[in-house]
Amino acid sequence: MDIDVKNLHPLEVKLLRFVESGEDITEESIISGLGYKVGQCNQAFSWLTAKGCLEEVSRTKKTIYELTDTGRRMKEEGLPAERIYAFLGEKGAHAMPEIAEALGLEKSDVGSAFGLLSSKGALRLNDERKAEVAGELPEDIKDQRAILDKASGAGFLDESELSAAEKKAIAPLAKKRGASSSPFRIQERDVVVFHLTETGEETKAAIISANITGEEFSVLTPQMLQTGEWKNGTFRPYGINAPTSRLIPGRRNAYSEYLQWVKDKLTALGFEEFDGPLVENEFWNGDALFMPQFHSARDIHDVYYVKDPVHARSIEEPWLSQVAATHENGWKTGSRGWGYAFDHEFTRRQVLRSQGTVLSAHQLTKAHIPGKYFGIVRCFRYDQVDATHGADFYQTEGIVVGKDVNLKNLLGLLKMFAEEIAGAEEVKYVPGYFPFTEPSIEVHIKHPVLGWFELGGSGIFRPEVTEPLGIKEPVLAWGLGIDRMALMHLGLNDLRELFTPDIESVRTRRGN
Amino acid sequence: MPKIEVPENIFYELLGKKMSDDELVDIFPVAKAELDGHDTEGHVIKIELNDTNRPDLWSTAGVARALKCYQSGNIPRYDFFSTADEEKPSDGRMVIDDESVIGIRDYSIGFAARGRAVDNDLLVNLIQSQEKLCTNFGRKRKTIAMGIYRSDLIKYPVHYAAVDPDSTKFVPLGMDEELSLREICEKHPKGKEYGHIVSSFPRFPYLYDDNNDTLSFPPVINSARIGAVEIGDSDFFIEVSGPILDDLLLAVSILSCDMADMGFEILPVKVRFAKDTPYGREITVPYYFQKPMTASLDLVHHKLGEDLSGEECVAALRKMGVEAVSSGDTITVRVPEYRNDFLHGVDVVEDIMIGHGLGNFEPVMPSDFTIGRLSPEEEFSRKVKGILVGLGFQEMMYNYLGSKREYIDNMHISGDEAVFIANPMSENYEVIRPSILPCLLESESVSGHAVYPHNIFEIGKITVKDDSDNSGTRTINSLGFFSSNAAVGYNDAASYINTLMYFLRKEYTLAEAENDPRFIPGRAARIICNGKDVGVFGETHPQVLESWGCSMPSIMAEIDLDKLLH
Repeated sequence: MDIDVKNLHPLEVKLLRFVESGEDITEESIISGLGYKVGQCNQAFSWLTAKGCLEEVSRTKKTIYELTDTGRRMKEEGLPAERIYAFLGEKGAHAMPEIAEALGLEKSDVGSAFGLLSSKGALRLNDERKAEVAGELPEDIKDQRAILDKASGAGFLDESELSAAEKKAIAPLAKKRGASSSPFRIQERDVVVFHLTETGEETKAAIISANITGEEFSVLTPQMLQTGEWKNGTFRPYGINAPTSRLIPGRRNAYSEYLQWVKDKLTALGFEEFDGPLVENEFWNGDALFMPQFHSARDIHDVYYVKDPVHARSIEEPWLSQVAATHENGWKTGSRGWGYAFDHEFTRRQVLRSQGTVLSAHQLTKAHIPGKYFGIVRCFRYDQVDATHGADFYQTEGIVVGKDVNLKNLLGLLKMFAEEIAGAEEVKYVPGYFPFTEPSIEVHIKHPVLGWFELGGSGIFRPEVTEPLGIKEPVLAWGLGIDRMALMHLGLNDLRELFTPDIESVRTRRGN
Repeated sequence: MPKIEVPENIFYELLGKKMSDDELVDIFPVAKAELDGHDTEGHVIKIELNDTNRPDLWSTAGVARALKCYQSGNIPRYDFFSTADEEKPSDGRMVIDDESVIGIRDYSIGFAARGRAVDNDLLVNLIQSQEKLCTNFGRKRKTIAMGIYRSDLIKYPVHYAAVDPDSTKFVPLGMDEELSLREICEKHPKGKEYGHIVSSFPRFPYLYDDNNDTLSFPPVINSARIGAVEIGDSDFFIEVSGPILDDLLLAVSILSCDMADMGFEILPVKVRFAKDTPYGREITVPYYFQKPMTASLDLVHHKLGEDLSGEECVAALRKMGVEAVSSGDTITVRVPEYRNDFLHGVDVVEDIMIGHGLGNFEPVMPSDFTIGRLSPEEEFSRKVKGILVGLGFQEMMYNYLGSKREYIDNMHISGDEAVFIANPMSENYEVIRPSILPCLLESESVSGHAVYPHNIFEIGKITVKDDSDNSGTRTINSLGFFSSNAAVGYNDAASYINTLMYFLRKEYTLAEAENDPRFIPGRAARIICNGKDVGVFGETHPQVLESWGCSMPSIMAEIDLDKLLH
C-alpha cells in the first residue's frame, strides 16, 4: 500500500473509521453519522476516491428541498400567518399597518397572510376595519409548520420521501433557485453511493493500527498554549516528505561570494587590498610598467580610449620624469632604456584600465616594506565578446615587496596560491614573458577537476618599473586567472554568464 | 602572441633529429614556446611563442636553434656579419638610400642569399618568417616592411628614394597592368591594406635597380618581375625598410641567420644611408650592432636566491645560445646576432635561470610578516550587502560597459555626465555606466518569467565626469537597489532606506528630488547625509518602464557609498 496514513486529512480518517466494508456510503449517511457539513463531506469523498479508497457504485438524480436562512428563521420565529394569528389572539384587534409595524413584517406580507387566513375563516375584519381572530388556525398552515420542523434536522427534505400532503404543503414555501425570501430552495442533486474498496479497507486497517483517530490537534494555537488544552490530546503527525513550497530568499550573488572567498583567502595569507578608478591614463596603464609607447599591446585596437576628457591634466611627479627618462635612456636603473623619445602628450591620454597590474604600479608609490598587496579589479579589453572573452572582467593581481624577496620566494608564493586557492594537486613552473617582469614565470597546476591549466603569471618587476616609482627593493608581481575556477565552482561554461542580468538564473545559481 | 606553423621536414632537419610531441612539450618552455597542435596529415607543427620581445623565435629556424643550443650547449657561429671594425666583402652589391626618403621612411637595407633552390615548403616558410617580422614585430609593416626579390635580375646598386606617386608607375605583383603608386594604394588589395602608412606624404618610397627596373613600392607591394619569387629560384635579394634602424638591422640579422641555418650562403650588401647614423654613413649588412651586456654575480644571487658560481652562470647561458665570460664579480654577455632584448642585467639573469633549469630552484615562502587587510570600501560594502540580503534582496553583478540606448536614452537623462569610449568596438559597449539603475532595469526587462516580487541590488563601480579630479572623471562605489511588484510604492523605498541608514548609523534628511526624469515627480527624494547629497530613491517613472519594456510598477534607489563612508 502506498498511502501514507499520516498524510490523510482528519476528514478522511474519521470517514474511513466510520464506514464498513460493503455498506452504502452516501452524503446523507456521513452527514448524519459524522456531523460533516455538505462541503466537508464532498471533500472527503473526492480525496478518498482519488486515492482509491472509495469507489462510486451508483449515481441517481433526486430533488431536494433545502432549508434557506429565511426558512430557518421562520422555523424559530414562526410563519408570518402564524405570527399574525398569535399576535391578534394575544393583543386583540389591530389595523393592518399596526400589525406590520409590531411584527416587523412587510405590509404586503401582512396583506397576503390576512387574505389566506380570512379565506379559511381564521381571521376577519371588524367594523372598525381592524383584523381580529374569527376561528381555528387552518390545517394547511399547520402542515407548513410541520414541514419546516421536519426539515430543520438535516437542513433539507428529499422529495421522494414526502407524502402527497407534505408535497402540497411545501409547494407554496419553495422556489427554484434561490430567492432568499423563500424558506425552501428546490435543487436537483446527484445522489452518489460509494463503497469501500480493498485499498480503502487496507488504509482503514493501517489507520487503526497506527492509532490515528482524526481527532488529533492539527495546529498548535496560542490559545491552546494559554489554556493548556494541548495536554488533552495528541497532534496529527505530518508526512515529512510532503512537497515543499519554493521560497525566494534575499541572497548574495554566487560569483561575488566566490570573489569574496578569494579575498578572504588572500587577506588570511597576509595581503592588504588595493583598488582604484576605472579611468586610467597611458602613463599608469603602460608607461609606468615599462611597456614602450610603441608596443603592439598599446595599439588603438587593444585599449579603450576615453572620448572626453581625452587627456588627464597632469601626471604626478617625480614619477613622470623618472619613468620618461627610464624609457629614453634607462635613467639610474642600470638599463639602456628603449632608446626613443618619450611622448609626453600620449602619456596623458586616458584609457579604461586594461590590466590589474596598473594598480600594482600605483601601489608601488605608497607601498610599505615589507608589504604584500592584492586587488581583484575590473579591467577592460578590446575584444570581441564571446564565451571566453568579456568586454570587462575581473583580474586578480598583487605584489610582494621585501628586502630580500627573490625567485625562490616567487615560486613559494605561487605554490601557496596553487594549493590554497586552487586546491592544486601538482604544480609546474615554466618561463613566461611579461613586459614588466624579468624573470617571468607562469605557473601551471593540476586541478582535481579541470586538469592541467595555467593558473597565473608572475615575475620580479624589472628595475625599470620599480626604481622610477621609488622602490629600490625587489618586488614580486603576480596575477591569478581565477575565472576558470569560478566558472567550474558555479557550474558554468560561459564567462558572459557571470554578469547575467537574468534574475531567475542568479536566484537559482549556487557554488559548489 | 605570435603563432607559427612549422613544416615537419624542415624543423627536424634543422634540429638534426626527430622529436616526439611529448619531448617537444617538455623542452618548448626554454624558448617560451607552447605546442599549439600537430597536423600529422599536413605534416605541420603549430607553435605559439609567448615572448613578444624575441622575434628571433618566431620562425622554424629560430625555435629549432633555441632547442638545439639548449640540448647541445653549442653556440652557432655566423661569419657573414660585418662589425664596426671588420667589413665583409660585398662584391659590388649595394643599396643607396636617397635623401628624399628622410622623414618619410628613413632607411632601406638588405642582403643577398643563394645556394639552395626553394621548394614549396621552404618558400611558404620564408614568407611566414617575413610576415611575422613585419606584422608582429614591425607593427603591420609600419616599422618594418620586407621584400624578397630575384637577385639574378637585379643590376646593383639598388636605389631607394621618395618619388612622385602619380608619375611613377610599374606592374605590381598580382596584377598585369601598370599602375601609379597612388593607383596602387587605391586599387591593389595590398595598397588598400598598407597604403595608409605612406599615403599622407607628398612623395612615396620607391625601390629600383640601376637599370631603373622596379623592385618594389615599400611598404606596400613588390613588382611583378624582380619581386616575383617562385619555386625553384635560388638567388635572392632581401630588403627591409622602415623608420627605426636598429629594428631593421635586427630583422635582417634574424632572417640571415635563419637562411644560413637552412643552408643558404649569405652575401653581404653595402648600404649607404641618407643621413648620419650611430654606425656611420655606410655599413655592410648583415651588421652586428649589439653591445655587450653585463650582470654582477650579486644581482644574479639576489634575484634568483641561489648562489650560482660564475662558471655555472656561463654554462647556463651557453645552453641559451648566449656566449658569456665570467670575470671576478661580473658576467659579460656577448649578445647573439639575432637578439636585441638585453636591456638590463636582469635580462641576463633570466637567461641564466632558464639555462640552469627552473626545476633546480626550490620554492621558499617569503618570511616577512605582514598584516592582511581588506580595503575600508570592501568592508563597508559587505556591511551594506548584509543588510540588503536581510531585507530580502538578491545581489546581482553586471558588466560595466553598455550602450547609450540602455544607459542614457532608456533612462530619459541627458547623459552629460557619462564617460564615453572614443573607439568602441560596437555600440553595445560604448559607455561606462554612469549609474547602476539601468543595469537593474535591464534585469527587470529580461526577467518577466521570474516569480515576483523582484528585489535586486548591486554594489559596484560607476563612472561620471567630475571636473575636480585630475582625470575629469570620478569612479564611485555605488549601491543600487530595485523592487518591483503590483503594490510597491514610495513608502516601501523610504522604509528600505530608513532601515539601511539605521543599521549603518547614518543620520539623514530627505529633499524633494526635482527634475529627475527617472522618477515620478513628487514621489522621489534625494538623501542628504552630513550635508552631502549621497543618493536618490523613488518610484520609477512609467516612461522609463515603458522604454525598458517593463510592465510592473517599481521603486529604485542609488547611493554613493564613498560619500556615505567618508
